Amino acid sequence: MSAASPLFTSQGIRRGLWRSQVLVPGVFVYGMAFGLIADQGGMSLLQALLISAVVYSGSAQLAAMTILAAGPSPLIATAWTLVATILVINARYVLFSATLRPWMGGLHPLKAYSTLFVLGDGNWMLSLKAHGEGEKDTGFILGSGVAMFLPWLVGTLIGHAAGNLVPDPKRLALDFLMASFAAAMMVGMAKKRDDLGIIAESVGVAAFAFWLGLPNWAPVMAGFAGGIIAFVATPREAAR
Amino acid sequence: MNSADFTILLLLMAAASFFCRAIGFLAMRYVPITPRVEAALRATPISVMAGIVTVAALRGGPAEWVAAAATMLMMRLTGWDVISAFVGVAVLAIARAVGF
Repeated sequence: MSAASPLFTSQGIRRGLWRSQVLVPGVFVYGMAFGLIADQGGMSLLQALLISAVVYSGSAQLAAMTILAAGPSPLIATAWTLVATILVINARYVLFSATLRPWMGGLHPLKAYSTLFVLGDGNWMLSLKAHGEGEKDTGFILGSGVAMFLPWLVGTLIGHAAGNLVPDPKRLALDFLMASFAAAMMVGMAKKRDDLGIIAESVGVAAFAFWLGLPNWAPVMAGFAGGIIAFVATPREAAR
Repeated sequence: MNSADFTILLLLMAAASFFCRAIGFLAMRYVPITPRVEAALRATPISVMAGIVTVAALRGGPAEWVAAAATMLMMRLTGWDVISAFVGVAVLAIARAVGF
């Protein structure tokens, strides 16, 4: 069976852009928080914006800031620590992008990798949910990613320029938004009794990782474990 | 930090970040998508989400647990995922505001 190029239209992009607007407030506030921290860490506005544009991950950027703000250090040592930190914190994106292969496979590399460039937790979850509901247009993924990207940069800019305007994400409980969203999506996705088993096992693996002092690894390990269990539990030639 | 150093570090940060986002997709090109692989890929999102919720619950306390429960209950009852998520956030914000 030849792989026809998956659907990728501007309508799909617009749908993704529109449907992701609900996540914008959280992204914006966290962008502001990073802008402020970058300013306090001695980064110029341009530097803060560039970091937000190329790393595009709150947790990784915050970790990077602590390293960058730690003062003069041999460049090689700083570089190594920075790269290793980012790889660990963003490891879950490896899994996210792997799960998009069935949908995005066959897409022109320029479209595929532009889409992946703006892949984040929120729009990954939203896109998979849309896909489960029948969305076939890969433009949706790009649109949803771009929808997050702009407020992230604007938030960074405002947080850097006007730090006193930055609300405390914790007071608004926005630090919980991603987890809350994940909880809702998880309930929405759990349709079969087997899913409950997978969830229970994932909770266990994540708790174990947390107990080991590796909270950043928890989602990745849970994801891997769940995948392996599903792999093993599926007969080699599953009846379709 | 001088510009040259920053530029180098910026490029490295960009490479590391993009690598994570690209490699999963790229690597899967060479993995035949058998029913077993497909099952694994389908189970991954729900597992990752369970992991995210677990970490948040362990990092937080009773207030976070109640908020997560509120979200999941709301979702079960209504199927409105975004609204349920914000309900959980609101519950937590209120709990923190009253000093819980």
